[in-house]
Amino acid sequence: MDLQGQNGLMTTFREGWRSRKASAWLIALALLAFYTDLYFFDHLTEPAKALGLRSKWFLYSALYSVAMIGGAVYYLRRHGNARYNRYRIATNLGVQLVLAFLLPFVMPLLAGAPEDDYWKYEYFAASIWPLDHYKLHPSILRAVPLVLALTTVALAFLVAPLLGFFFGKRWYCSWVCGCGGLANTFGDPWRHLTATSTASWKFEKVAVHSVMFLAIVSTLLLFVDAFADTGETFHAVIAGGEWWSMKSLYGYVVGALLAGLVGVGFYPLFGPRVWCRNFCPMAALLGLTQKLGRFRIRVKPDMCISCGNCTTYCEMGIDVRSYAQSNESFTRAACVGCGMCAHVCPRGVLKLENAPTLQEDKARQRLPVVNL
Amino acid sequence: MRIVIIGNGVAGMEAALAVRQREPAWEITLVSEESDHFFSRTALMWVMSGQLSHRCIEPLERDVYERMGFHRVRARAVGLDLEARRVHLAGGLEPLPYDRLLIACGSRPRPGPWPGSDLPGVGHFVTHQDLAWLEEEVHGGPSHGGPPPRPRAHLEATSDESPYRFRPVARAERGGPPTRPAVIGGGLIGIEAAEVLHAAGLRPRFFIREEWFWPMALDHAESRWIAERMREHGVDVDLEHDVEALEGDGRVERVLTSEGEYDADLVVVAIGVVPNTGWLAGAGLELDRRGGLVVDAHLRAQRAGAENGSEDLGVFAAGDCASVRWFHGEHMPEQLWYTARDQGRVAARGLLGDGTATYARGHWYNSAKLFDIEYTTAGLVNMNVEGERNWFFEERGPVRSTTRVVLAGERVVGFNLLGRRWDHTVLLRWIEEHRSLAWVLDHLAEAAFDTEFVPPLVVPQGARERAPTGPAPSALPEPLAPPAV
Ligand SMILES: Cc1cc2nc3c(=O)[nH]c(=O)nc-3n(C[C@H](O)[C@H](O)[C@H](O)COP(=O)(O)OP(=O)(O)OC[C@H]3O[C@@H](n4cnc5c(N)ncnc54)[C@H](O)[C@@H]3O)c2cc1C
Ligand code: SF4
Ligand code: SF4
Repeated sequence: MDLQGQNGLMTTFREGWRSRKASAWLIALALLAFYTDLYFFDHLTEPAKALGLRSKWFLYSALYSVAMIGGAVYYLRRHGNARYNRYRIATNLGVQLVLAFLLPFVMPLLAGAPEDDYWKYEYFAASIWPLDHYKLHPSILRAVPLVLALTTVALAFLVAPLLGFFFGKRWYCSWVCGCGGLANTFGDPWRHLTATSTASWKFEKVAVHSVMFLAIVSTLLLFVDAFADTGETFHAVIAGGEWWSMKSLYGYVVGALLAGLVGVGFYPLFGPRVWCRNFCPMAALLGLTQKLGRFRIRVKPDMCISCGNCTTYCEMGIDVRSYAQSNESFTRAACVGCGMCAHVCPRGVLKLENAPTLQEDKARQRLPVVNL
Repeated sequence: MRIVIIGNGVAGMEAALAVRQREPAWEITLVSEESDHFFSRTALMWVMSGQLSHRCIEPLERDVYERMGFHRVRARAVGLDLEARRVHLAGGLEPLPYDRLLIACGSRPRPGPWPGSDLPGVGHFVTHQDLAWLEEEVHGGPSHGGPPPRPRAHLEATSDESPYRFRPVARAERGGPPTRPAVIGGGLIGIEAAEVLHAAGLRPRFFIREEWFWPMALDHAESRWIAERMREHGVDVDLEHDVEALEGDGRVERVLTSEGEYDADLVVVAIGVVPNTGWLAGAGLELDRRGGLVVDAHLRAQRAGAENGSEDLGVFAAGDCASVRWFHGEHMPEQLWYTARDQGRVAARGLLGDGTATYARGHWYNSAKLFDIEYTTAGLVNMNVEGERNWFFEERGPVRSTTRVVLAGERVVGFNLLGRRWDHTVLLRWIEEHRSLAWVLDHLAEAAFDTEFVPPLVVPQGARERAPTGPAPSALPEPLAPPAV
């Protein structure tokens, strides 16, 4: 039998490892140690080779998949009673296993590429520009097979914005993306820890749009280099490969520090979407298409009991309750459409939808009870 | 202008905010014995289970009192002097003078009428202090979310009959958490109490006096499903058990019922709530027979026995403690979150000296979650309307649901829906539009509010043509005249 709502009470705040107690700090420390080793040392290359994986990055991807599978089991046991949750997590897991692990691993082998050229065929279709900034560097576009270069461009400039317009950024952030996938599976036990204060929201707006701005401008400058008569002026700064070049800095600061260490390492302390919410350029860009598009969360008027389940379990720190209390259907750029607010709402007040206009809402106006 | 508001609940807080919005300089005082902060009483169950923390159930930032310039008094009001316009406080505090007063003091649990109802280990589930008592009994204290701020601050200024005193805890005498808890009373708070005990890993007994769970709102078939689901979860649902006494040596150990004796080392009494107006006994305000403060359409309280609106007392009432006029003409409280909020807004207009705002709830609607089954109701259900007939359909497929449409003659006057989510505003519109059963069944999809990918409700032709049956069993003895056409 299908039940839509959250199935049975949760004991979140009675579990120390989910409430920033000592066990949570231990888990965070372990994760931080792992990421530090992964990014800054080389201990994982040997075991990777021993397992027949080409590099430590494939071992990381394998571990990532295992963590996602474990987290998905945890998540589905709690919330799998609702179809939206089942379909979403299954899709996300499928994308991780096939597009992020299997395909990149076998594509060079299938293409019969020489070992030096493997990287050209290790194509991670699910990480789209500007999340994967490197993909759209003119030098990379020229190097990889044409079909892959075209895919990169089509995904970034056609597929992503169009789907974003029609379905909101959730199509990516909650159904496809690996970062979102890990957050919603392995990171799910800590979703209630995301900050909801006004200050955190102000920080988010500045931070995430700055990263997006940098990503777009630097890419543009690379194209200026490639097509105008500037030689390698910008290329050296942006994609030069020196430690001070933007490519390297981006790799370290954004890739290692923000997405890995801060993003995942602090799951047990600050919730699973620190990276997605504050730093991901893809999320920021999709947020803009979402604002212009059709996705919204519809609020059923005058039924909210202000319990706070929605706000607490929103992984993006959105104060959903404030909208529900004031009978306001809404689209927030940050919302990743995970559906959890609607799922945990004990009064069925919220509904995610892709609807062309708000016209229908006019017919659903609140009844004239209070005559002010 | 000095505004005093008794009650920091949703009615009191809504009113305070609305007054402040218009009058930045008025002196506004919020008196609350129960807690420092405004919180959602509706969400107590999730704090108990650990799904939410105390902070989570506070809808506003904690600095709202400073930002809005609200004075807070954490003390019990024990009396009211209408002539001198003062509220008397417990704990030897100075009386509070007011120019206009809003009484929004909510409900208190109805005490168990049986011998032994005061034993340690017996309590309720309505107030912050009830929650603290139950947390102490079951878990030995609050969750990692912590206690609310200053949980005991009011004990300096309270009185013996206050519902915000802590109940005696039997955990020490029992030697640990309960193993055989019981809940008495088959209503919404009762089922919530059963659910939180179940969430704590216990197997509660649920004593219900009636033939089936919640006959005020559900019919037999609907209720059977809820009881079945509760039993699947591991709740022992004991129907038609009339409790006669609670017994034990120094703490509760047994519940004696009409059907026999049961072990119980913790008892939650959830047999309803009553207006929390005991402190107004000698004040001279008009109370209804349940103790609710009788108000007019502007939510003005009136002097006992006086002609409606003959005198400006400057006293208003809103929320659970206010006895408002219902569509059937009787005065009763509406014990709901959103009505308390709406009443707070209307009362604020009165506090501002604007006599034009009125309150009149047209239709009844509500929703709830009975364990994991969604429930929506709209219009006249189980009200024994004249010429009442009920059309019922039970869906058993990938989704399980029940749909009951209540008719008065050919007109649809109510809906009772389990297992799916519905938009009550659409249902209420159909009631206002006097739709027929056939029309409603054709348009049901327009009122659906299910989450995405849930297959829509399909009513097969055979079921559509089934004739509605007679009236549902009702809590009202006299048939109710259908609302004016
Ligand atoms: C467990 C539970 C679950 C519920 N679930 C739902 C639900 O799902 N949907 C729904 O619509 N409704 C629900 N309700 C009902 C809903 O909570 C109430 O209708 C609503 O909270 C009433 O608000 P209020 O402002 O009138 O009073 P309250 O919230 O009760 O506030 C009363 C205030 O008055 C103060 N006070 C009282 N007496 C004194 C005094 N003598 N001196 C000083 N201060 C005093 C208290 O400190 C408190 O601040 C539920 C109630 C309970 C107990
Ligand atoms: S608003 Fe709702 S759907 Fe959007 S991110 Fe928050 S919980 Fe998920
Ligand atoms: S929208 Fe639902 S979950 Fe959120 S506060 Fe209102 S009733 Fe609670």
